This record gives sequence, structure tokens and C-alpha cells, in this order.
Amino acid sequence: MRISNELKVGLTIITATVIFILGVRYFEDLPLFATTYDLSAEFDNAGGLIPGNTVRVNGVNVGSVNEVYISTETGKVEVKFHVDRNISVTEGAYAKVSGIDALGAVRLDLYLGPLDAPRIPEGGRVAVGDGNDIFGDITARAPEMLERVSSVLDGLDTVLLETGTMLSQPESDFRSTLRSVNGSVTELQSLLAAERNRISAILQNVEEATGSLKTLTSENGPAVSKLVEDLSVTIATLDRELVGLGQASRSLNVLLDKINNGEGTLGLLVNDPSMYHKMDSTLDGINMLVLDFKTNPGKYLGEMKLVDLF
Amino acid sequence: MVLNPIQSMGRYSQLLFKAFGAVPEFGTYRKKLWEQMMRIGVDSMPIVMLAAAFSGAVTTVQTSYQLVSPLIPKSIIGSIVVPSMILELGAVVTGFILAGRVGARIAAELGTMRVTEQIDALEAMGLNSIGYLIVPRVIAGIVMFPVLYVAACFVGIGGGMMVGHLGGFVPIGEFVDGAREFFQPFDPIFGLIKSLVFGFTITSVSCFKGYYTAGGAEGVGRATTQAAVASCVFLLLADLILAATLL
Amino acid sequence: MISVKNLYKSFSGKEVLKGVDLDILEGETLAIIGRSGSGKSVLMKHIIGLLQPDSGSIMVDGVDINKVSYADLRSIRQHFGVLFQGGALFDSMNSFENVAFPLRTFTSMSESEVQRVVLECLGMVELPDVGAKMPSELSGGMQKRVALARAVALKPRYILYDEPTSGLDPETSNTIDELIQNLADQLNVTSIVVTHDMHSVLNIADKAAFVHDGRMHWTGTIADLHASTDQVLRSFVKANEYQIGV
Ligand SMILES: Nc1ncnc2c1ncn2[C@@H]1O[C@H](COP(=O)(O)OP(=O)(O)OP(=O)(O)O)[C@@H](O)[C@H]1O
Ligand SMILES: [Mg+2]
Repeated sequence: MRISNELKVGLTIITATVIFILGVRYFEDLPLFATTYDLSAEFDNAGGLIPGNTVRVNGVNVGSVNEVYISTETGKVEVKFHVDRNISVTEGAYAKVSGIDALGAVRLDLYLGPLDAPRIPEGGRVAVGDGNDIFGDITARAPEMLERVSSVLDGLDTVLLETGTMLSQPESDFRSTLRSVNGSVTELQSLLAAERNRISAILQNVEEATGSLKTLTSENGPAVSKLVEDLSVTIATLDRELVGLGQASRSLNVLLDKINNGEGTLGLLVNDPSMYHKMDSTLDGINMLVLDFKTNPGKYLGEMKLVDLF
Repeated sequence: MVLNPIQSMGRYSQLLFKAFGAVPEFGTYRKKLWEQMMRIGVDSMPIVMLAAAFSGAVTTVQTSYQLVSPLIPKSIIGSIVVPSMILELGAVVTGFILAGRVGARIAAELGTMRVTEQIDALEAMGLNSIGYLIVPRVIAGIVMFPVLYVAACFVGIGGGMMVGHLGGFVPIGEFVDGAREFFQPFDPIFGLIKSLVFGFTITSVSCFKGYYTAGGAEGVGRATTQAAVASCVFLLLADLILAATLL
Repeated sequence: MISVKNLYKSFSGKEVLKGVDLDILEGETLAIIGRSGSGKSVLMKHIIGLLQPDSGSIMVDGVDINKVSYADLRSIRQHFGVLFQGGALFDSMNSFENVAFPLRTFTSMSESEVQRVVLECLGMVELPDVGAKMPSELSGGMQKRVALARAVALKPRYILYDEPTSGLDPETSNTIDELIQNLADQLNVTSIVVTHDMHSVLNIADKAAFVHDGRMHWTGTIADLHASTDQVLRSFVKANEYQIGV
């Protein structure tokens, strides 16, 4: 059968239309057949986000950024993006810009809200999470944190050295010495408690950043990758040791409290070998850590400095 | 008879104006439209696809040749080849090929009809020769150029991808990632608008040259050459104007 | 009724028509004669508005065809059938489609009716079986006859023939002359025949008009033609190797 012109032309046009629509959706990173839904968010700083960047939920690409512009009304950055319609973006969801601008790989991370919360309507606004620039955070905070830790440890070290001397001289005023030890340990502990939160927050950020960095660096940047791995290991070690330090100080504190409250006397302490040994081992632990830190500062500080590279 | 450029522009506008006037009686010429769509669009498909496939492949090879830094990810090849194809090559390569293929053909057809009095014969019967000869060709150009553009982009990007993959320049996955990273949804729309304008430009300029042919076989030859050359020149001009106004 | 008044036309400075006056009455057959290049074809193209005069007017049924809208001009043209000097067949169509073209474009005939009329017209020009041939496959004379079939297919009120018998053998020429005569007699067609062929003129025309030097040098009936003493006309006729009044 001879195919008529009408049919051939019609089929060609239809094929082209289908290819066009599917092609655009393909490169827009949209599901080829499902529909999408538009959302927006308002940032103080877009961190280099541009249209076409991907939108991810839990590391899965679910859409892309349509538009990024400075709102003339608010002066803030208005980001419009779309996600797969199957993703349920509910109230409580928030968006975050992540990735490293310098490497040209910025993306929008979407953290979904509770499943039972109402869905954000088409075109609706998603809240914004903070911490746009993880690496900036680390770079800014790391030296400060290290300095504080090291000064605390220095102080502790002095105190412990003194304590050691005291203990070897039973006739001295041990009670007053212990009181001063108590004071500095309390201080140390409150400091450590404060630092703990920050350290763990930073460590979490570092880990996130490391994760994103790892996904970014292919074999092209083995140096960067290696560096980040080292950094991660170092920080993990530091974290572990600080936990040990915290525990040690806490038990020291309990012990000293008991002495303070008169539950035991110097005689009791001296006469009770088990208690002495307990305290001794505790102090030993702290001491060892501190000594380790002092004799081998490079292990902690030297490698930490690498963070400044970023 | 040599016309100066301003006179030519005037005659060209007049012809377009008459063609517009003939659009309402378009129903009469519908059959002609299908025929022209077939000739301008469907029949041009193979050569356009061939040229587009090669442009895509060459762009990929050249881009990867120029990418020497190991720090730049390979996906950049996709980020360069795909927008080049969509924004410029898809429409312009199609345009140049059709300026030669379709433009020359239209001018030769209409020119011959003019010098052998076939156009007079149409008019003498009471037909609107502009409506009958020019409107279907121009509409077919406007409709089919975007179709050819889509085919060119499809084949060009596919060709680039395949050569990148087979030649070991960039794996398909990375190519697509790179393309997606910098994909702007407006780009293909711009490409479509561009191809539509090119379709109009090439067919209308060639119709103008052919319709006003004078001077026998030699005149037909002259009109044919002029149609191909003028189509290319106006195509480049339109390309520049569109880029300046829409991008 | 067609009436041409004081028609002037020049092409890039070269004056071709310098004040032509001509009246063609309803139902009559007028032969326009004149030397090659005298402007006969140009005059014919003015009558259907394919060329616009520099000055002067052409009235068809009382309407000045250069003063009406393009749409009106086109509806006037539909009353005309035109045979061009070169045939002007559409070379993208075969002979059948060429003859069928005006029928399909301007009538709502069924395809079987179109077929019947086309075959009838091709039969009239003695080419009943060239329907499937493309114009390029036909001889010059055959092309002209197919073009003639196309011109008469719609049975128009006016038919303009530009040299219908040039390039034809005498026998076919006679057939064409008869065809023109029959159309004129049976359908009361008003015919304008541009020709060199004095034999045809004497066969078919009621009147003759002699174009010379851009003007209607002489107009009159065939009887007047025989009696004319005009030197220019006589020498033109003599050159056709035809002795008037002998
Ligand atoms: N479109 C045109 N442009 C310029 N000159 C033209 C044009 N048409 C006709 N002419 C000139 O007008 C004159 C008359 O031409 P026309 O074709 O009317 O001659 P004709 O009487 O039909 O001759 P023939 O019997 O050979 O057909 C010629 O000298 C020709 O050069
Ligand atoms: Mg002539």
C-alpha cells in the first residue's frame, strides 16, 4: 500500500514532538513520563546555585533547579525548583545548598518533613536549613577549638603534675591541694562539656563534607581525597581521646567530691589502697593522654592544620 | 534588470504581504502543503541527520582534545556538546544544508515556472499564484524546520555520545551528567524559535528569488544561486539578531 | 464584450504598445495578426490583466480590470480560457492532471466526471491517449494541443489563443481550426486568436486586427481584408504567401 504524504508528514511531526518533549525532560533530569511539581525557597546566600543543578533527597536525584534570582522585594535569593511528583514534600521539610562552589558541583539538598504532615502545595515555599558552607565552618572553627582544648589540657597537665608531687609527699596539705585540683577539674569539665557539643557538631559536618567531597573527587583528585580521609581519621581519634578524657575527669571529680564532703579522710584515702589505686589509675589515664598530647602534638595539631588548606 | 537592495526589500515585503493576504484561502492549497512538507521536511531528513551526526561527533572529539587538564571532569564534554548542538549547531547546520537543498530547489522550480509562463497560466485561470505556490512552501518551511531541528539535535547529541563512548573520550553516563548539570530549559525553546525563523527566512527568500525570475534559463540559474547565497546570508543575520534579542 | 482603449505599454524604455484600441463583441472570433515582436502576446496578456498598462484601459463586460480588486479580477479571469504561446503546461503534472487541474480547482465535479471531461477534451485535440505522459515527454505541437485542451476544459465564455496552430502540420492545424470554430459556434464563445497563419484567419475569423508599430494599424472583417489596399497589410499578407482576392 502506498503511504500518503499526509501520513508520512504527520508521523514525522509527531515523532519529532515526542522526541523533543522526552529529550527536554531527559536533560532536565525529570522522569520521562511522570509529572513534576514546583516549589520555591528563599535563601540569604545561594552559594553558587544555578538553574539546572540537581535537587536531592537522601542522596537521590529527584529534580532540578529552575531559576535563581534576587527578589526585588526582599533582596534575598529566590530559588525555584521542581521535584518528582511522587516525592511527598510535607510541611517541615527544609532545603539546604550543599556542595562546593569552586568545583562547580553545587546542589540543593531537600530534607523531607514528617510523612503525616500536610503536603506543601504546588508552587509553595520550603523552609531553609542553615549551614550553607560546611567547609567555611570547619576552617573557621578548627584552630579555635584546638587552641582551647590544648590550653585546657595544658592546665590539666600542670595540675596533675602538682598532684603527683603532692601524693609523693603525704605530709603536705593534701586537702587544700585537692581543692585546687577540684576547681580546675570542674572548670575543665564544663569546658569539655561545652566543647563536646561543638566538636561533635563539627565532626558531623566534617563527615558530611567528607562524604560530599568523596563523591566529587574522582581519580582526578587523589590528593584531595587522601587529605580528607586523613583529616577524618585524625578528628575521629581526637574525638575518641577527648571522650576518654571526659570520663577520666568525671570519675576524678566524683572521687574528689567524696574527699571534699568528708566521706573519707586523708587517712582513709591513704589507708585505703584500693581507693588510692583507683585515683592513681585515673590520674595516670589523664596523664598519659596529656603526655601523649604534649610529646606528640603533631599527631593532633599538625594534621589538624591541613584543614586550613580549604 | 538589477534592483538595488532597498527596492528588493520593498518587493520582498510586498510579496510577503500578498502571501499573508492569501493565507485565508489556504483551504484550497492544503494538498500542496502536504506535498511541500513532504519535499522540504521528510525528504531532507537523511542529509540533515547525516550532517548533524557528524557535527555532534566532531564537536565531541574536538572538545575532548582541548580538555587537557586532569582536574576538569570529563563530563564537561557533555556540558559543551549538548548546549552547542541545541543552541547553535542543530539549527544552523540544518539551515545551511537546507539553504542549499531547499532554497535552490524552490528558486529553480518557481524560476522555471515563471520563465515558461506556468505562473501566468495559474494566474490566468483565476488562481492566486502566490497563495498557490509561495504560501505552502513557506508554511512547510516554518513547520518542518523545527521538526528537522529536533531530528538534528537528536542525532547530533546521539552521535556525540556514541563517539565519546566508542572513542574512549567520555562514558555515556558522564556525558549525560555533564549535559544535565548545565541544561537550561530555555535552550531548546530558543533552538525551536531559531529553526522556525530560519525555515521562514530560507523559504521566503528563495520563493522571492524564484517568483521574480526573469531572463530564461540563465535567469533561472542566477535566481537559484542567489537564493542559496541570500538564504545563507539572511540565516546568519537572523541568527545574530535572535541571539542578541533572546539570549 | 472586451474593449481596449488607448493602451500604452513600454518595457524598460522600449515602447511596445503605443495607443492600441480594440473592441471584441460577444460571440465573435477575432484574429490578431502582426509581425513577430509587434506586441501581440503583450496585448493578450493585458486583456487578462497579467500585465498592467502604462496608460489606457481594458474593459471586460463593462468593468475596468485594472481598477478592481485582485479578488474581483480573479473571478473575471475565471470566465477566460487562455492558451499561451509556449503551452505553459505544469511540468510537475502529467497531461491528464494538467487538463483536470482547472476542473478540480474550480468545480465540484466528481472524479468520474472529471475523467470524462478530460478524456473528451484530449479527444478534441486528437490526443486521446497521452494522459499519462509528462509534458517533457511530448513534442512541442502535442504540448500545445494538451494546453489547448486545458484552456477549453471549463468551457469559458472567452478564449484567448496565442498561436494555436504554429508548429503543427497542416492536417492537425485544420483540426484545431475546426475545434476553435465549433467552440465558437456551439457554445457562443468569444475568441481571440493571435496567429501568423493567414489560412487559419480566413478559415475561422469573423474579424481581423493587424498590429503594426505598436498600434492597431488595420481592423475589419475578413471581407474587408480581401478588399484592403493598405500597403503594410498587403505586404504582411503577401509574405504569408497567400494572395488576397485570388
Ligand atoms: N516581459 C518583457 N520584458 C521586456 N520586454 C518584453 C517583455 N515581453 C515582451 N517584451 C518585448 O515586447 C515586444 C513584443 O513582444 P511579444 O511577445 O508581444 O511579441 P509577439 O507579437 O507576440 O511576437 P511573436 O509573434 O514572435 O510571438 C518584444 O520586442 C519583446 O522584446
Ligand atoms: Mg507572441
